[in-house]
Amino acid sequence: MAVVTQAKCYHCGDNCGHFPIRIQDHSFCCEGCKTVYELLQAHDMGDYYTLANAPGMSQKEEVRKDKFAFLDQASIAQALLQYHDDQETHIVLYLPQIHCSSCLWLLENLHQLHAGIASSRVNFARKEASIIFHHQQISLREVAELLSHIGYEPAISLQQLQGQSKPVIDHTKRYKLGVAGFCFANIMLFSFPEYLGIDSNDEQLRHLFWWMNVALSIPVVFYSASEFYVTAWKNLRHGFLHIDLPIVAAIIVTFARSLYEVFTQTGGGYFDSMSGIVFLMLVGRVLQDKTYQQFNFERDYTAYFPVAVTRLSEGQERAVALPDIHVNDTLRIHHGELIPADGIIMSGNSQIDYSFVTGESMPVLKEAGEIVYAGGKSMGGVVELLVIKPVAQSYLTSLWNKAEMKETPPVQKSFVHLLSKYFTAGVFAIATAAALYWQLHNAAKAWNVFTAVLIVACPCALLLSNTFTNGNILRLLGHHGFYLRNAQVIENLAKSDFIVFDKTGTLTDTRQQQVHFEGDELTYQQKLQLATLAAQSGHPLSRAIVAHLNMPARSTITGFLEIPGEGMLMGRGEEQVAMGARKFIVGDATPSDPNTSVYASIGGHLLGCFRIHNQYRIRIDQCLLQLKKNFRLAVISGDNNGEAYPLQQLLGTGTDIRFRQTPASKLRFIQSLQAKGHQVIMVGDGLNDAGALKQAHTGISVSDHHNNFTPASDAIIAAASLPLLPQLLRLCRANRYIILFAFFISILYNLAGIYFAVTARLSPMIAAILMPCSSISIVAITAGFSNGLARLTLLNKPTDESHTAA
Amino acid sequence: MNENVSLADSPSQPPDMGHKSLQVEQFSYDNKSVQLFAFATIFWSVIGMLAGLLAAVELYYPGANLNLPATTFGRVRPVHTNAVIFAFVGNGIFMGVYYSLQRLCKARMFSDKLSRIHFWGWQTIIVVGAVSLLAGYTSGKEYAELEWPVDIAITFIWVIFGINIFGTILKRRESHLYVAIWFYIATWVTVAMLHIVNSFERPFSWFKSYSWYAGVQDALVQWWYGHNAVAFFLTTPYLGLMYYFLPKAANRPVYSYRLSIIHFWSLIFIYIWAGPHHLLYTALPDWAQSLGVVFSVMLIAPSWGGMLNGLFTLRGAWDKVREDPILKFMVVAVTCYGMATLEGPMLSLKSVNAISHFTDWTIAHVHIGALGWNGFLTFGVLYWILPRIYNTPLYSKKLAGTHFWFGTIGIVLYAVPLYWAGFTQSMMWKSFTEEGQLKYQFLETVTQIIPLYITRSIGGTLYLSGVLIMVYNLYKTVKAGHLVKDEATSAYPLPKAITTHGKEHWHRWIERRPVQMLVLSLVAVAIGGILEMVPTFLIKSNIPTIAAVKPYTPLELQGRDIYIREGCYNCHSQMIRPFRDEVARYGDYSKAGEFVYDHPFQWGSKRTGPDLAREGGKYPDSWHYNHMMDPRIMSPGSIMPNYPWLLSNEIDTASTAAKIRAMQSLGVPYRSGYDALANTDLQTQARGIREQLAKDKIKTAPNAEILAVIAYLQRLGTDIKSVKP
Amino acid sequence: MMSVIILLLLSSISVAALFLAGFLWSVKSGQYDDADSPPVRILFDPSSKTADNILDHE
Repeated sequence: MAVVTQAKCYHCGDNCGHFPIRIQDHSFCCEGCKTVYELLQAHDMGDYYTLANAPGMSQKEEVRKDKFAFLDQASIAQALLQYHDDQETHIVLYLPQIHCSSCLWLLENLHQLHAGIASSRVNFARKEASIIFHHQQISLREVAELLSHIGYEPAISLQQLQGQSKPVIDHTKRYKLGVAGFCFANIMLFSFPEYLGIDSNDEQLRHLFWWMNVALSIPVVFYSASEFYVTAWKNLRHGFLHIDLPIVAAIIVTFARSLYEVFTQTGGGYFDSMSGIVFLMLVGRVLQDKTYQQFNFERDYTAYFPVAVTRLSEGQERAVALPDIHVNDTLRIHHGELIPADGIIMSGNSQIDYSFVTGESMPVLKEAGEIVYAGGKSMGGVVELLVIKPVAQSYLTSLWNKAEMKETPPVQKSFVHLLSKYFTAGVFAIATAAALYWQLHNAAKAWNVFTAVLIVACPCALLLSNTFTNGNILRLLGHHGFYLRNAQVIENLAKSDFIVFDKTGTLTDTRQQQVHFEGDELTYQQKLQLATLAAQSGHPLSRAIVAHLNMPARSTITGFLEIPGEGMLMGRGEEQVAMGARKFIVGDATPSDPNTSVYASIGGHLLGCFRIHNQYRIRIDQCLLQLKKNFRLAVISGDNNGEAYPLQQLLGTGTDIRFRQTPASKLRFIQSLQAKGHQVIMVGDGLNDAGALKQAHTGISVSDHHNNFTPASDAIIAAASLPLLPQLLRLCRANRYIILFAFFISILYNLAGIYFAVTARLSPMIAAILMPCSSISIVAITAGFSNGLARLTLLNKPTDESHTAA
Repeated sequence: MNENVSLADSPSQPPDMGHKSLQVEQFSYDNKSVQLFAFATIFWSVIGMLAGLLAAVELYYPGANLNLPATTFGRVRPVHTNAVIFAFVGNGIFMGVYYSLQRLCKARMFSDKLSRIHFWGWQTIIVVGAVSLLAGYTSGKEYAELEWPVDIAITFIWVIFGINIFGTILKRRESHLYVAIWFYIATWVTVAMLHIVNSFERPFSWFKSYSWYAGVQDALVQWWYGHNAVAFFLTTPYLGLMYYFLPKAANRPVYSYRLSIIHFWSLIFIYIWAGPHHLLYTALPDWAQSLGVVFSVMLIAPSWGGMLNGLFTLRGAWDKVREDPILKFMVVAVTCYGMATLEGPMLSLKSVNAISHFTDWTIAHVHIGALGWNGFLTFGVLYWILPRIYNTPLYSKKLAGTHFWFGTIGIVLYAVPLYWAGFTQSMMWKSFTEEGQLKYQFLETVTQIIPLYITRSIGGTLYLSGVLIMVYNLYKTVKAGHLVKDEATSAYPLPKAITTHGKEHWHRWIERRPVQMLVLSLVAVAIGGILEMVPTFLIKSNIPTIAAVKPYTPLELQGRDIYIREGCYNCHSQMIRPFRDEVARYGDYSKAGEFVYDHPFQWGSKRTGPDLAREGGKYPDSWHYNHMMDPRIMSPGSIMPNYPWLLSNEIDTASTAAKIRAMQSLGVPYRSGYDALANTDLQTQARGIREQLAKDKIKTAPNAEILAVIAYLQRLGTDIKSVKP
Repeated sequence: MMSVIILLLLSSISVAALFLAGFLWSVKSGQYDDADSPPVRILFDPSSKTADNILDHE
């Protein structure tokens, strides 16, 4: 596939082909890129190009002129706005193309491009721009068009219209952490005299410090630690012994005993250990709850659907919001638009790309009179569509609303809870036994011993090792482009034994197609002719062939004719160039040609055919091979079985490969595996996998650089990181052992502590030494082991994009 | 994204009252202030380092003071430390803050007038401070030597600075406060508190005062201040500068912004408690010492987090570092920060501290910080800022590179000999012969390290030469360019807070009203100040007083003030630690109760000369007389300067009464009305010493200062000696 | 001894409390919600476009 090195587009970095457009020493791959360059130059914003290398987005795909006409509709616009008054309007737009510092610079300098824009501010992590503009000078539609024009087409989805935008960031954990940290540091300070002894002269000071500690511990117990009470109580009501329960018990016992000591003036209590533990546990929680703002794990179909479509009524085009579409409306669907509701084509014809819904990678031709289903993307012509089902009941939507989809699989409980049960039972047993012993020998100490054991042996070490390991593993995975919804997913992944892959878009890259020509070698002239013909068509196969031939296309041609679904031709006689299906070119049809082939002839003479394959992602073969060692694999595809042979080769024998799977049958397949007792990971990308992703124990959706939309899932993996999946899963499996090891080490500290406790010799000093030692060991072990392991297994880090998550 | 706005209710909101439409605003940055502070930084760097060089030379050539009081080591050293810390680094901070804060806030400094008052006020303080120190007006507390009128002036100017930065922050056009700004805020708040608490003093004349606290208390407050001055004057503001200028110079964002935020908050919450590590093995309670140690050790984590964050910012850009002298300066600065912050906690460990304390090791340690961290970062920032505000390229990159090498070699030649000297001297102090006798006389341990002192001054000379190269380079740059006094720029104003249902958060109300905010914060500061002062008035001192310890006699008090005036504490400690060698060399170790009448305490931090805590009665009066006239008569090879003026100057008896009254008000139990009689007692005691000297054929004027000094020295440690069993 | 320790504690704690308030404010006002844009944003100076190359003249 290697092509001679060619000029890279100054704007977007794409290959410029043999004949780039050149101005001012810079090459451009297309008119679009050139236009943006000129626009920025004209507004004295050439800095854009100095901040990063080829920072722009490819402009080859033109945005349809009236695409944002719906924003002129006040009712639609209103629902999207943040704020507006008689002069200015505030809106937050999602711009999935944001990827580098140049983007930030350009988008925050929009006012230089249009005076009507008052301010714009980028949230890099969320890929959002908050824009304030004067609507008397520039309309919302024009803002969207301006953004599209410079390569940042806003993604406005139905979800936004329905007000289900991103969750508001919850700050409470950080408040609690801040308060706990402050109180802990100061309590520790006031506890120092307690550890090291204080002159009898300073006895007053000592008591003052005790009271200060009481005061400082109140916010810790009643505010910072409230997390734990809530979870413990919630779970307890459902009859589940959550790990937070013994921790709550420990906090209460420690606090009560410390208060008792201070009130009776018998000692300074264990406020320092208690607040330290709460602080550290909160740190662990905050680490573990790291959220990936840029990803939405909860997307449903509304995130994919446009906000509005064009409705025809009495010959007039009008943008209407999607929820307002009714049966019997006539819609006009343009190239590249999603069909929002099931309907019958009234006029026009188009290639409908169902890859998104079914996984079938090649578009199918639909003509007047045929039924098309919601979720298909129209490629090529404009069609008019008579709606036969409302949006909410259309094929795709109903798929979503099916009973299976609604059912949430039972929440899996971490092994840590099980462990904590035994642990807690053990601690209580020791405490009780020790108390009984002392009851017989020195009754005055029994109560002290009982509480001391509970204080020193609280299962916080378990929780710490759990949250810190999870947090660190989450961070490491995120570093490598693998983002998990939460920490429980690590454990689910670790338990899995079966991985099911979707093919199209997951194992293969939909944007890349492998083309090879079977037939006589083509001359330059022939290539030029074929490229010229293919360039006339918007059909994806034609585009693939144009890209493959890599020829400067002539623009003037005569006698072009395209017969949708069959082929196209141009010129006459010896000059006639034709391409298309076998039937169109050769005349006979070979029924068993599952491969996608385009035949070509010049002057009636058959040259051969272009065979078009899916391009498998780079290094996916090694990835699958490695996975096979530890997992059983299956591939399910909505596509035809044209790829059966290469897939079989890729996967070897014993792998279940299924073609022509509907979304529902994918889901059933997962269910059948689960019925056999497998723990299943589903890896998919499109909406057609949504059901399966949700049904599987863990659904991983693949996110391409160019498509940030991923269906609801438990995890999102950057496409570039997919080859790393075996290593990433290995890291997840190691997670459990790291936790157990850290826990084991901390139990040693606990044993030491229990020794002091049962012999009634536990002093605040000993508690204060054991607590940080144990915590530091845990943090060191979790960080050391997980980082070391990550370094060992993930030596080759993907180069692409992951910097945003760093 | 404003959380208060819900999609349902906001779009139909009526326009906010008094709302003016958002427009890009044209304004300018004030580069004049930056330029002034930059020039001051350069100027004072040369002055401060010259003073340092003079002090360094005097350590092996005491005659370098030309027998003038003002140029004697004891007075030059405070001038050096103050000039470097408050003049050089201080102006460096202001230069960096005035440059970066405007750009980070996208706003001109709050008030040009305040900027100017700040600038000239600060320079005046420096000049007055330097002159007064040279003239012998000192409070006698290290790094806080300036006397009370200057202290008040510092407070005033610091408030001006505060109004200026908070005003700028309030009128900012960028909603996010970049982490550097947080470091600046922390600097301002904490330094204000430290300065006020440590500067409580009782004036008894227009230019002299006694510290409010006594002995152990004074030491604790002083080192709580001293440590935090390092933390919040030399470190946090420079970390702020690092987080701004390092990414700017490298033209890449900081390695991890999250880490920088964690760095800030953890540093802030830990730093303030590390002070007592300066007082290990002293009369301070054990728990307070250990507290200082623990917090100091904890400091390694955030400090190294910050250093790594700085260095990792340059990952993948090391080729750039090789080319760019600015980045070179910054890399070495950050590395030195890392070294100093690792060494600091190490020195706070008791076993290490036992060796390092009172030796040149500490001096080497602080100079890694001062020369490397503060100096080099300042140079980097200067090279970066001046060409920009003068809109011209740097005159010579090559010369900047030369400066870098002069500086780096200078640091090495400075620090290595001093580490060596410190270790050597400490080992010699602690050496015993097989018979259990001290192996070395103190003087031997001094003469041993003189070659190292010479090397150190060569290192300092190199470093200063580098600075002079910079001065030339920047002079040529400035000449070639033209100051852009007001740098035009534009930014959108902050979008106004969107109100929902008339509910307005109180902080929004305040944010939009800088004046109210200012008044409120001043009220808060005032309340805080009063609260802070209350305990000193209410709670009686609780030190275990030793019955034998009595207040100083008027003559001794005068002598003590002369001792302070000449800066004797710069070389002589008065704190014997409970080590075998120290007890053998100096006498019984020091107890907290011995210092109850010491305003200020004179424990010192460095033993260039021997400890004096038990000096009283060791030598006859005539020995002291001759020793002051020329130390080499009594101790051949001594590096102590001559103090001939003590022999001729007369005691300022006019001040005695005021001093006694001041001491009385601080709780020193002179009987009431004693102030009127004090001079009589003074004369009597002076006459006694004169007669003693006369026996040794030494004739002195009746009121010569030497009499007071001898009285004081002969008193030191005698109270407790007399009660020994 | 005691009086001065109380003095230091009070002043230190009040300053620490001030910083705690600052921390809570900064979290509340969303200062840390986006930790990716601010470090990049400070690199852009609209007014000194040519400044970045200023050292390369030699």
